[in-house]
Amino acid sequence: MDSAPLEQLDDADLMLRVRSQDDEAAFALLVSRHQKSLLNFFIRSGVQYDSEDLVQQTFLRLYRYRQRYVASAKFTTFLFLLARQVWIDELRRRQRRQRLAESLAAEPYEEFAAPAAPSAGVEGDLDLARALATLSEGLRQVIELAVYQDLPYAEVAEILKIPVGTVKSRMFNALAKLREMLGEKRGDTP
Amino acid sequence: MNLYAHLSELPAAEATAFRALVTRLRAQPQHEPSPLLTSRIMAAVAAERAHPTPNVQPETRNQKPETRNPKLWYWAAAGLAACLLAVLTLFDRPAASTAADPTTAWLAANQEADGSWQPARHGGDSAYRPALTALAALALARDPADRFSTNVQRACDALTALQTPDGTFGGTGRVRAYNHALATYALATLAPQDGPAAVALERAVAYSRANQSVEGGWDYEPGSEGNAAVTSWQVQALAAAATKGISQANIPLRKGLIWLRGAARDDGGVAYHRGSPGRSEGLAALTAHTLMTSGQAFEGLPAIGRRLTVNLTAEDSTADCYRDCAKVMAFESAGDTARAETVRDGMQLRRQAGSQDPWEPIGGTLYTCAFTALAHK
Repeated sequence: MDSAPLEQLDDADLMLRVRSQDDEAAFALLVSRHQKSLLNFFIRSGVQYDSEDLVQQTFLRLYRYRQRYVASAKFTTFLFLLARQVWIDELRRRQRRQRLAESLAAEPYEEFAAPAAPSAGVEGDLDLARALATLSEGLRQVIELAVYQDLPYAEVAEILKIPVGTVKSRMFNALAKLREMLGEKRGDTP
Repeated sequence: MNLYAHLSELPAAEATAFRALVTRLRAQPQHEPSPLLTSRIMAAVAAERAHPTPNVQPETRNQKPETRNPKLWYWAAAGLAACLLAVLTLFDRPAASTAADPTTAWLAANQEADGSWQPARHGGDSAYRPALTALAALALARDPADRFSTNVQRACDALTALQTPDGTFGGTGRVRAYNHALATYALATLAPQDGPAAVALERAVAYSRANQSVEGGWDYEPGSEGNAAVTSWQVQALAAAATKGISQANIPLRKGLIWLRGAARDDGGVAYHRGSPGRSEGLAALTAHTLMTSGQAFEGLPAIGRRLTVNLTAEDSTADCYRDCAKVMAFESAGDTARAETVRDGMQLRRQAGSQDPWEPIGGTLYTCAFTALAHK
């Protein structure tokens, strides 16, 4: 394992090097490989401005908890477990922040949390993004992990701490709701 | 099982529709991380490596707990002793025997009978008496053992007494701006929620609100849209007042934060005035700290503040306690304890070398002591 160039090592081997040798280059490679997927994970979760900070927090947590990583665990499962925890902490922080914000008088001035400019290039993508955003957190996270991150259901179940059967039912409900919101059941979409 | 295996279990028509939907979902455009993200993450990890967060390592069943390296304790103790000796030497003032931090103890020992601090006694300009009183009180209030609560209370009484009928704390132009912003900040942070100091705070906030520019900033004279230094202090004062339940602080706070957000350029620079091409490390640090702390209730502002800290240097060659204290606060707010420590080390070395602080002729030893104590860990 040690003789191979870092770039050729898989995530688990890199993480083991971080765990056993505090290997900075191996950690940097993990950051490079997974920062984009984490960034989009948080953006799709509804974070508009602070998504890169949450990515940073996730990697910082990965480093802090590096000794908890065991070779038998898939790296993405470990990483998204941490990302989910960061997201839960962020939701709690937002709830506290919301309480503080509500104590401030409503103002006619520019809103801080104005919706971000849509990045989707076509109206169809916009509709899809909006529909996705209206899903409940439980349904949306199943879509996020199984569709966008392409994780097997067993990993999704482990990350969300739910049975595989629940992953399946949530996935079905999520896709069905998306179809309904996009009007596909009415035959509006080819 | 994966997604497609699951879909294949469904009736054909439904499976086809769901597959098409999944294809559309996956075809949505992806956001790209900013070019600096990797370096930011690695810097944060380096800081964590240098100063590990306690109690995050797992408890393992088969391993003995790590024992501390006794040599580290020896060097830490020696370093602490050296720091204490250095500070005593630097300021050449007697320290209270009960105080852990000699700089703070020196401030406490030099409080005037009326509760204020008089800069004229220590090489500064007497016009800044309210501002220096506020800074000294804020520094004393940071004592972890709360040994100076009486001094702080007396300082609040003194600031209340120094307030003029218009709600300010005396002076004109630049003097008035700093006196008002810092005294208001100190009262909002330190004064009790009732009594004369609370009334003084309400009046001070009313003045801040009335003298805010249309754009949301504050400056030395009316008519200007604002400058980053005064606006940062005003925003910190109003945020503290809002936290205390002073509702009239809410509107100017939001406007001030919007102004500061506009002062933070995409290149990480902050100039004295918005739109100016200039760049000030001290102002960038002060603005960053303000956005991260006073703007914490507003989505996006802490992130802008943290971004401002990325380009800040922790190693300066010239003395400037104001700049250095702002950097320590900014790095601490961003969780970058390693760079905050580097700034503190630099402050100490420059004082030991006898470097002249550019603002010392105005603020005197009170100014350097107050900012040194505020930057103290």
